Amino acid sequence: MSSVQLENVVKYYDSALLPGAAPALDHITLEIRDGETVSVVGPSGCGKSTLLKTIAGLERPDAGRIFYNQTEVTQIPTQERGIGMIFQDYALYPNREGQGNLSYYFEVRKKTEEEKQQRLKETAEMMGIGFDLLLSRQVDTLSGGERQRVGIARCIVRDPNVFLMDEPISNLDAKLRERTRVEMRRLLSKFGITTLYVTHDQQEAIFMGDRIIVMRAGRVEQFDSFDALYYTPANLFVASLIGTPPISVLPAERDGLTLRLHSGDSWTLPEALAHTLPPGRLRLAVRPEGWLVALQPGDGLALNVTHIERLYTERAAFAHGQLGGAAINALVPLDFPDTRQVFLQPDWERSYVFHADNESALHVPGVPDLF
Amino acid sequence: MASITVTNLTKQFAEKTAVNAVSFELGEHEFLVLVGPSGCGKTTTLRMLAGLEPASGGDIYFGERRVNDIRPRDRNVAMVFQDYAVFPHLTVYDNIAYGLRSRGASRALIHERVTAAAKTFRIDQLLKRKPRQLSGGERQRVALSRAMVRDADLFLYDEPLSNLDAQLRHQAREDIVALHNQKQKPSVYVTHDQSEAMAMGDRIAVMRDGKIEQIGAGGDLYKSPANLFVAYFIGTPSINLFDVTIEVEADEFYAVNPGLRVRLPAEIRDALQTYVGAPVKMGLRPEDLHSPKLAPFAVTEFNQIRGIVNVIEPSSTGCAVYLSTIEGVPQDFTATFRTRLPATYLEKEIPLALHLEKAHFFDPQSGLSLLKR
Repeated sequence: MSSVQLENVVKYYDSALLPGAAPALDHITLEIRDGETVSVVGPSGCGKSTLLKTIAGLERPDAGRIFYNQTEVTQIPTQERGIGMIFQDYALYPNREGQGNLSYYFEVRKKTEEEKQQRLKETAEMMGIGFDLLLSRQVDTLSGGERQRVGIARCIVRDPNVFLMDEPISNLDAKLRERTRVEMRRLLSKFGITTLYVTHDQQEAIFMGDRIIVMRAGRVEQFDSFDALYYTPANLFVASLIGTPPISVLPAERDGLTLRLHSGDSWTLPEALAHTLPPGRLRLAVRPEGWLVALQPGDGLALNVTHIERLYTERAAFAHGQLGGAAINALVPLDFPDTRQVFLQPDWERSYVFHADNESALHVPGVPDLF
Repeated sequence: MASITVTNLTKQFAEKTAVNAVSFELGEHEFLVLVGPSGCGKTTTLRMLAGLEPASGGDIYFGERRVNDIRPRDRNVAMVFQDYAVFPHLTVYDNIAYGLRSRGASRALIHERVTAAAKTFRIDQLLKRKPRQLSGGERQRVALSRAMVRDADLFLYDEPLSNLDAQLRHQAREDIVALHNQKQKPSVYVTHDQSEAMAMGDRIAVMRDGKIEQIGAGGDLYKSPANLFVAYFIGTPSINLFDVTIEVEADEFYAVNPGLRVRLPAEIRDALQTYVGAPVKMGLRPEDLHSPKLAPFAVTEFNQIRGIVNVIEPSSTGCAVYLSTIEGVPQDFTATFRTRLPATYLEKEIPLALHLEKAHFFDPQSGLSLLKR
């Protein structure tokens, strides 16, 4: 096992063809600690798969250096780096049964039979109940989830320095995905293998990662725990990417204690918050649970409710509508009455304010102290 | 009044029965979701409604009219596909206008409808572009606009959101609900994602192996699942299922296994009477496991379970905690809390109080629910 460091890594695709093109990786510096699982999330084309391939050595950086455990590996070929990789399409050897997939490495590396058997046995035990049954089956008789289990075991028998996974479960259907990710998370924490996990699904990233890298356009926007990303996002991009339903963003203008929306409506800011904000244009952002929702006007602004989405599975409902040019999803109790209009005010303690132009954070709620 | 009636609809592919005698009715303004794992027959059912796949048996009625032998284009159905199916060589405008043009609508009507639909789905500034210049989310909105301009009698959606990433999916879900609210026409929506089904459907049909396992409002499926499969499929994280034996001691009923001994509420004794001494499956939703200090009921030694915390998953409403039992063969179970469990509890053993008034019981062979809830 090992830690992974990247130092000012830059990667261009087709750099010769398109001078002035944006790099796929733009001066990335980060450290993945020994034994932790780090997930990478971001929209398509943000460079997350390139980051993984560069760490694997499948892509060579145009500048910068990569270290495994303080040892530079930038120029070392992939097969000598001691990594295990798992991709979306499983990539098991289809002509071998589960066991053959695991032992292939030992055959190629000319390890002794004894060493092979010992390692296979250890791995099967650690993989948990029923795993030995999978080993005797042909790959094409395994389900998607079972294939990924064999895939993980195949990487584990090699005792890798680093695990690299690129959308490993996005081919599975929703229910199976839910079960498989629990399994994978448990195995990874049990084996304590340093893992980089790439996904486009923020919920999966939250689930799998001890920490999460949020990428955009080849850069790391923020690299931190879920709580930090959720409650102290560095900018509006991170705030919008983390959390479902997504945060609502309202363009606004501050004048003294008045926060005026584009529609002309306004709220009165608490003094303490108003003093921390510059005057003029701002972006107010409120998460679904950050609204004070009332059936009577009071201090709230009217929201015409397009519909109330009741999620029995989450014991919650969301009131949807438009306010000040933004789509609003406000969390309400599951038994909230069927109404066409509610009155909204941000719970200022839980609201976010961002710079209107560069979208950096001006005010964030901070991680709540629950215990 | 039922506007679409399907009776004993069957589809046979060589050896495989993809859809097996499926029957349902669809109300005038109803939004029905077909949900189930891959290969359950939901998409085949949808394609038979559209006429893209001939039925091997059964009847499909649109109102009074039997449509089995009517060509797809004459059924007057609007369909939205997973891969959007927009024409790459046509502009956004021409893509949206396509259905109207092929039905000979006037130029003025086409213009009016296309611009209105494009405005609704926020692509009015993209009308001159070709699909390859659009993002996935924008293409999806072209497909929705194309459905919207039509005066179809039935709207069909085949996993329209699966190719979008999470943040776009929420908005697109809203867009489809908006489209439905405006059209007020019967709609059938196919997905493998139960949370999507729960969020969107007036009614939901849970399918497995070509059959409808249960059909009803989302809340009903969640609160009163007819069988083990529906109980497991609806809800995330999934319902916890414990293999237990029913034992009687001093007139009290207990559910027992090596890691668990809990006393069951008096009201369900009658339903379980014939299962005394026999194995059953006991189901408890993750939200019905509580921290003993915060439980909304009296905690005794007979309504608790202990487990080791394996994973804590934060969510916007609290967290989901994945545990496994200690005694006997370790069994995984899940609890959801309204507050965030600190990471210091990882690998620790904690007690949880079970809200047994909310428990479900199933016959282990047939899978049928033993309680009438």
